[in-house]
Amino acid sequence: MPQYPRIREQHIAVFGESGSGKTVLLSSFFGPTQERSYSNDLWDLVADDTGQGNRLFKNYVGMRDDAEVPPTTKFASTTYHFSLKLKGTDDSAVKRRPFDVLRLAWHDYPGEWFEETPGTAEEEARRVDTFRSLLRSDVALLLVDGQRLAGHRGEEERYLKSLLTNVRQGVLRLKDDLLAGQGPLTEFPRIWLIALSKADLHPDWDVYAFRDLVVKCAADEIDALRDTLSTLIEAPEALSVGEDFMLLSSAKFELKSDHLTPERIDVTQRVGVNLILPVASLLPLERRVEWSGRLQVPRQVLDTVADGADLLAIALTGEAGKAVKNLVAKIPRIGSLASRAVVPVLTKAAQMTGSQLRAANEGARQNHDTLTATLTQFKLDLEQGVTDALLIKKR
Amino acid sequence: MTEFQTAPAGVLWATRGRTWGFRFLLDGGLADPLAAYEAMFAELGDKATGWVGNAQQVGVRFVDPEGRRDRSGRLIPHDFLVTGDLATQIASVDDALRLLWPLVTSLYARVWDQEAPPSPEDVRFDNSSPLRAD
Repeated sequence: MPQYPRIREQHIAVFGESGSGKTVLLSSFFGPTQERSYSNDLWDLVADDTGQGNRLFKNYVGMRDDAEVPPTTKFASTTYHFSLKLKGTDDSAVKRRPFDVLRLAWHDYPGEWFEETPGTAEEEARRVDTFRSLLRSDVALLLVDGQRLAGHRGEEERYLKSLLTNVRQGVLRLKDDLLAGQGPLTEFPRIWLIALSKADLHPDWDVYAFRDLVVKCAADEIDALRDTLSTLIEAPEALSVGEDFMLLSSAKFELKSDHLTPERIDVTQRVGVNLILPVASLLPLERRVEWSGRLQVPRQVLDTVADGADLLAIALTGEAGKAVKNLVAKIPRIGSLASRAVVPVLTKAAQMTGSQLRAANEGARQNHDTLTATLTQFKLDLEQGVTDALLIKKR
Repeated sequence: MTEFQTAPAGVLWATRGRTWGFRFLLDGGLADPLAAYEAMFAELGDKATGWVGNAQQVGVRFVDPEGRRDRSGRLIPHDFLVTGDLATQIASVDDALRLLWPLVTSLYARVWDQEAPPSPEDVRFDNSSPLRAD
């Protein structure tokens, strides 16, 4: 018999220098979902650890009510686990769905760990552990600090080159520890999006303006980062670095005349934050299908590119064939599906767009199939993000 | 020529600079400063300012008295863990500002805006940093 709830876990890797907005982003991701006025007919987002959830919500309320930014992350890395618990009580839909909970692990850590050598051996050990955890993610968000970019007006190139070089050097410093005498890594973030944090400071920019600036100023550094990451992994052809871009703004910050202290933080004006879940959960599925069709990537690697993508695909399409249904029935025992029967479902899921996608979403909602409705909604959100010029997905 | 003197004994000090990240400028002579720091400051949590302690040691946190901020605009915190005789004199944040801060203020003024974290050679004390509050 299946065990309930069935859980699919996804890690989010957010790389960013100290002060680039990692903790603010995390608080802005969680906080609004806890507001009384928040409504979502498909799922509830809960923090698995109540204390952690309260801490993030306190950060959010501090920003909302008192224009206070969250405290600096010191010395320690914290992994926040969130569960996206699907609503719906329709027994038949619940039985059909391959999982009930989408769990997210989001690692928050001091940004300086990528820029400086930690001061103590214990911190160094924590840094290695943190990055080992981060590397379990399918997708990495590499934050470009919109505030520092604004501070380098006219010499953006200097900041962007320095940022990307720091990340590359941080990876190089950790390389031996991360590989730890083993061969190239199979599980690794294969998609590295470059994201502009604090995008509210650049109200005239769309994601194309941001992408053009990054590529113009730091194309060589992106290539160097890609080359360095390639040395860590098996099947380096399955790696996207600097081909996907997005804009992120955790809130709209109105600053005092010193241009540093927030006068008011409007937490209702977020940009791109609602794309984080869709990006983390569905982009790997799309990329996996693309790589499997175009490149000779070993199956073992593809399975880790989008861990559990087959389950997502089945849930997304909501119309698995008999062979697939039989496999779904065995999921609690066999974990990931390794059947060729799933491949067409994966392809269909990745390629669903436009009216077909909207119809699937509406149908799922009518049938109270909240899992398919949630995932098709995520895909619609991604489409909308592209339309709104908040997201560039590799073509 | 600057006369160097020794750092105040029994004082652990964690802070950050404008660009460099949080680290211990003074380790209080402890073999494992991070464990001692975390044990003491767990009670303060995310509070921007506060005092915790007992008869043997005190932990005190306050924001930079000069209002200095890091490069992203966050007020810089100073966390001190104090043991020994000095600890018995620090029963509040105000005591710390009066007795502790003068011991390190000129050192901090010298290093906070450095691009890189201060080296052990940078963490030096001279006559402008009185070693005793009295």
